[in-house]
Amino acid sequence: MDDSVRRLIFEAIDGTISPDDFERLQSAIEQSDEVRDEYLRAVGLCEELAEIAVVHSSPELPDALPDPVRRPEAGERRGRLQWWNPGRLAVALALMLSVGAAYWFGRHNSRAPSSQMAGSSSRDVGTDEAVIAGHATLRRSVDLTWSRGTPAWREGDVLPDGQLQFDEGVAEIDFFCGATLIVEGPASLNIESDWSVQVIEGRLRANVPPAARGFVVRAPGADIVDLGTEFALEVGSGSARVEVLDGEVELRGGDLDGQHLRTGQTLALTGSSDPPQAIQGLSTIGELLRRRDDAEAQRFAQWKQSAERLAQDPRLIAYYPMALASDGRIVRNAAATGAERNGTIVGPVQHVPGRFGTASAGLDFERPGARVRTRIDGEFHAFTFVCWGRIDSLEHRYNALFMGDGYENGEPHWQIRDDGRLMFSVMVDDSQEIRHYSELEKRVVTGAGLHHVYITEPFWDITRSGQWFHLAAVYDPQARRVTQYVNGREISSEPIVDRFHTETLRIGPSEIGNWGQPFRKTPEFAVRNLNGTIDELAIFNAALASHEIETLYEEGKPRGY
Amino acid sequence: MSEHLAPDAEPRNDREARYNEFVGLLARHDQSIRRFVRSLLPSRDGVDDVLQETALECWKKFDAFQPDDPDEAAGEFIRWACVIARYKALGWQRDRQRDRLVFRECVVERLADAAIDHVRRREQQRRAIESCLDALPGDDRRLVLSVHAPGESVARLAAETGQQARRLYSRVNVLRKRLLECVEKRLAGEVAHG
Repeated sequence: MDDSVRRLIFEAIDGTISPDDFERLQSAIEQSDEVRDEYLRAVGLCEELAEIAVVHSSPELPDALPDPVRRPEAGERRGRLQWWNPGRLAVALALMLSVGAAYWFGRHNSRAPSSQMAGSSSRDVGTDEAVIAGHATLRRSVDLTWSRGTPAWREGDVLPDGQLQFDEGVAEIDFFCGATLIVEGPASLNIESDWSVQVIEGRLRANVPPAARGFVVRAPGADIVDLGTEFALEVGSGSARVEVLDGEVELRGGDLDGQHLRTGQTLALTGSSDPPQAIQGLSTIGELLRRRDDAEAQRFAQWKQSAERLAQDPRLIAYYPMALASDGRIVRNAAATGAERNGTIVGPVQHVPGRFGTASAGLDFERPGARVRTRIDGEFHAFTFVCWGRIDSLEHRYNALFMGDGYENGEPHWQIRDDGRLMFSVMVDDSQEIRHYSELEKRVVTGAGLHHVYITEPFWDITRSGQWFHLAAVYDPQARRVTQYVNGREISSEPIVDRFHTETLRIGPSEIGNWGQPFRKTPEFAVRNLNGTIDELAIFNAALASHEIETLYEEGKPRGY
Repeated sequence: MSEHLAPDAEPRNDREARYNEFVGLLARHDQSIRRFVRSLLPSRDGVDDVLQETALECWKKFDAFQPDDPDEAAGEFIRWACVIARYKALGWQRDRQRDRLVFRECVVERLADAAIDHVRRREQQRRAIESCLDALPGDDRRLVLSVHAPGESVARLAAETGQQARRLYSRVNVLRKRLLECVEKRLAGEVAHG
């Protein structure tokens, strides 16, 4: 039996397996009797070890039968106790209690009550309306190093329930109930719900405004319920201590059940009984922001240098590094092709921070009519379009990235559909009249001409609102292939068939973030301004290779990505 | 169906006797059923939920449970409950496949078919694991248990012993592999001796 498969099995048991490896493991279990058997034996072993470990480690098993309705303390999470232990009997009793209750309720309702029994996780039953499967957002971060094998999140990500673990750095986590944690690594958390989190290791400051009163932080030794407003917690090195910075907390579970702590009080939850020292040196939000700004300024400076190098690339048709602050209405073309290809801001384009923080700039096309117009004459033999953009929402059926005005022969259209897919197309023969039924307009319409839209799988959904993306489209008539990339990785590759093949490419008058001359006037078709920000756009007269796209991504990515 | 008769229509003693019987079977075999459920899920997440749903369903259907052989009631109950547990485990994973790693349906089916045999050997397995653990040197025993003990962690041990956590993790897996081989040998030995 291959050691690599055994490693996958243990990673799955430990919860550190990656999605790709998990697929591999599933296939192996499905196809091989040997792997299946090994998996079952390994699970059996680890379950037994868990039970043995509890008996060996915890010196404070409860004497009394725990109240089945109360939440369990972390030490006996899920009730893994020896069969002959009174705690075990309590689990069985609680099971009977809920079963009995279900018998009576079950005859009147079809749904079982979500009774809390000792050993069960507190989870809401039947929230069918959850659109975003998560409980918190990673609002800000500084120098986070995610632990190997655990999911790596980025600023703005919605965090689902489950493990959060990092070796270094500071994270600011906003729970949907309104509570905020600033956590310093090394840290290991288990996000349980909008209202609760378990801290296995780490130092944190919890800020709980009135709306979030009742937010629970589970620590070894006790659950901490914040009654408003701020407390600090340190878990690690076999001990846990809590300090109330402002307001009041209540402790639940275990020996400390029912105790209240007020401003200035510090208490050890486990370990020594001596009064602990105050928890020192936890970051405040102000400090976090300062560190973050410093890190960002550094990253911006690095990028400026790589932008200068990129501007020298002879293959560039035009390069608009909007992140370098611009003045007035000119969007400067930094490539050697010069001012002739500068862009002009038209309409209500908003100047907003770019992807490198407030020191950098970006252009936002949220308001209808906002656009950057440019005119690029000439003929080209291949296209690579690359940009850094941030989507707030996909308001329209089609949302423009870069659109040639008249969509004449050889001209490009690069946009995002409302289902999160990228679309790239080049007009092949504008003289042809192509009639087709338009779902959007519910009637037969005349198309612009002969062209084919190269469309990708969805890469964006509402949970990614506010995140920065590196997007690239490569139109290669020589290799007869259109390849599209998101964040340096290929997301679609499609051949250019003869019918849609053209080697003479043009751009002409065109727009960034909008479409200047729609050939049908219905609003659903014509209004395409991007509700988002673009802070860098480059167009090459060449088909860049995948490693070049990847390099552009790596050199351009903002801090924390 | 008879189980939906109003309570006062059924004789009180019978109902209570049935209830007691059910509770007795459930309490006695809860561990085995739990092990079965755990085998069908990729992690411990959800084991309690599925177990609770299974218990409720078993109670609802208990009237339909009639063991062929009263001497084998225990084994039959486990098998019967595990059929229900399989169904519940499939449903639980189907509901959550969007936001976590879950096993595909066919994988669950394969595991369920194989797991039922493992469940029956659980008691023997436990004894074997305990003796194999005892055979390990103290530090190794502590290390391999550390991954599973609440409040303990490999990270903490790494800090204490000054070793890299990564190195400790691979040592843990070496120990687990050794335990698996030891357990298998022991179980094979027991079988050979009848």
